Amino acid sequence: MGVAEKIVSWARRKSPWILHFNSGACNACDIEIVASLTPVYDIERFGMQLKASPRHADILVCSGPVTKQIEARIKRIYEQMPEPKFVIAVGSCGSSGGVFSGCYNVGGGINSVIPVSLYIPGCPASPKAIIDGVIKLLKSLEVK
Amino acid sequence: MHNSGEFKLPFGPQHPALKEPEGFSVALKGEKILGVDIRLGYNHRGIEKACEERTYIQDIYLIERICGICSHAHSSCFVQAVEEIAGIETPKRALFIRTLIGELERIHSHLLWLGVAGHEIGFDTLLMYSWRDREIVMDLLALLTGNRVHYAMNTIGGVRRDIKGQHRQKIQQAIGQLEERTKYYIDLVSNETTIIKRLSGVGVLSKEDALRLGAVGPTARASGVKRDIRCDDPYAAYGELSFEVVTDDRCDVYGRTVVRLKELMQSYAIVRQVLELMPQGPIAAKFGRKVPAGEAFSRYEAPRGEDVHYIKANGTDKPERVKVRAPTLANIQSVKQMLKDRYLADMPIVIAAIDPCFSCTDRTIALNYAHPAKKALLSWPQLHSFSIEWYKKQGIDFSKLNQSLRRTSD
Amino acid sequence: MIQEEEILRELKSKFIFLENRMRISRQRRIFLEVEYSNFPALFDYAVKVLGFSMLCAITGLDEGETLGFIYHLAKDSGITLNIKTALPKEKPLINSVINYFPCAEVYERELADLFGAQVEGMPAGNRYPLTDDWPENEFPMRKDWLSPQAQKGQVDKNA
Repeated sequence: MGVAEKIVSWARRKSPWILHFNSGACNACDIEIVASLTPVYDIERFGMQLKASPRHADILVCSGPVTKQIEARIKRIYEQMPEPKFVIAVGSCGSSGGVFSGCYNVGGGINSVIPVSLYIPGCPASPKAIIDGVIKLLKSLEVK
Repeated sequence: MHNSGEFKLPFGPQHPALKEPEGFSVALKGEKILGVDIRLGYNHRGIEKACEERTYIQDIYLIERICGICSHAHSSCFVQAVEEIAGIETPKRALFIRTLIGELERIHSHLLWLGVAGHEIGFDTLLMYSWRDREIVMDLLALLTGNRVHYAMNTIGGVRRDIKGQHRQKIQQAIGQLEERTKYYIDLVSNETTIIKRLSGVGVLSKEDALRLGAVGPTARASGVKRDIRCDDPYAAYGELSFEVVTDDRCDVYGRTVVRLKELMQSYAIVRQVLELMPQGPIAAKFGRKVPAGEAFSRYEAPRGEDVHYIKANGTDKPERVKVRAPTLANIQSVKQMLKDRYLADMPIVIAAIDPCFSCTDRTIALNYAHPAKKALLSWPQLHSFSIEWYKKQGIDFSKLNQSLRRTSD
Repeated sequence: MIQEEEILRELKSKFIFLENRMRISRQRRIFLEVEYSNFPALFDYAVKVLGFSMLCAITGLDEGETLGFIYHLAKDSGITLNIKTALPKEKPLINSVINYFPCAEVYERELADLFGAQVEGMPAGNRYPLTDDWPENEFPMRKDWLSPQAQKGQVDKNA
């Protein structure tokens, strides 16, 4: 299968599996990500499911400014994900390092380590913003 | 770890695919834990250094973001210290508003914890219920402060936003709803056999050990240690408020659950008092940019326990030194003690029960078996599943409860 | 501030060298300074006799020629005793206080990693909070240490 066909068949599945990873954040975005799963926001109605292993994930939803301790781990998680794969950087820290930009143990956002497909700003990004962002990503992959 | 005569944790060669150190190293004999080594530093960002390079006002926003749950705790602890050094008389109304936000934070944090604890034992409906209820206080915080988290309420000298007349009714309404829901959780925890069986006798920390190891917060209070900075070393408006310090003698995870639920009830009462007693007046005193040379030691009872900040000022607009000791760091030794001689399946809930301020879910767990000697690696999700399955085999299974509650939910 | 003053009296009578080196900054806050040679006896007295049963934190300070260490002790009554001592930067050798407070282990590791303190009596264990591959003799919390970003002038202090 060519790459285009792979993306088409994946997008048709409409049930993206998400792996959530915290790269050294304050936990605010992570809690908002989990909150997206709870009844008030209920991201599962869009067919999304949280998975535990990178090998089953389509989308890596990642928070945090990537501390030195975690750099190798996030790279390996990304490597273990099957194609086609996408990365969503959640929150200001994920996008650019946020308030921690310039701190000595911090990289400077997730795109300094792995390629990012979508950025969801906010400090923290609210559940509504997260759902909005994920849907935007999925829509952008639909073949018209 | 300090009693190295007890066991020697064999730090073998790293797993070939693993280039970074494990989050947890567990020495095992059969299914029983001999000892645990917890590797910290994953979210070490270098904040204290950064504080020296930024002004006091800029630092408020940085300090807030040490933790996304105890954000206001850290920010208040920080500004308290600066105000003390600068000799600022913070207006009473500001202190009451700080207290209000602090208690709303405690409420959201304890409800969050309840859901996380539920998740760790396989009682996922509890996660859904408690986090749905938690949205009541999240909406309230967003209304009062403009954000769900990182409220930016504090400034040096007071607070940045006032509590308006129309807010009071919303606060009362929210507290009323939450109180009803919390009574339900207290009832559930008191009477549901599966919960009682699952959490009792797990993660035991004797009063003696709690004192010796310096436990703080609900972890200490559930071991009968009556310690609460709001009462022992009052700050903000706590000196003028009346509330109980909740303790429990069970010394286990069940006790820690009961303490947090009862603390919620205390928080509702405190919020009502704050609304009743809040004086009129300005919400902030004047603050220049520079802080005269001096030092202060500030303490705050965060939802997880005692948070301390030490600040040294040098007469400029930037601090000479900012030292932060968050509550979780004080509870690490206690966690190690709680896991000794317990089952591997207890790890998730015991760690969760200190309400740790580090993200557990990304840690690799290295298992070192004594006899026969072998090593294994687990991811946190794997440990989580193992734990639930292990307890199912012991007859403790939340599947039925999950199902029945899902049916009755709206 | 009766209790605080009582503590000061007791300390002064036991340790004459503390005269003029103690102050009550406000209620429940006592700060004092001591040479490291006198620190062990003072610490022992504060914990065992005066009843300061909690070690809240240990703050490291870069004071130029010396490294400072503040031990923040507390009592059940809420009174805190903040004992400051210092050692020359070339040999910042301190004795561990884990025999008094097991929780000190992680605080002392932090002093070693970030300030370069040499702590005598530490058990084997992981460093905290820096990575294992952190370069030797690089102590981020020392004043003359600049992060790679800061060296390149990349830190926007007006951000």
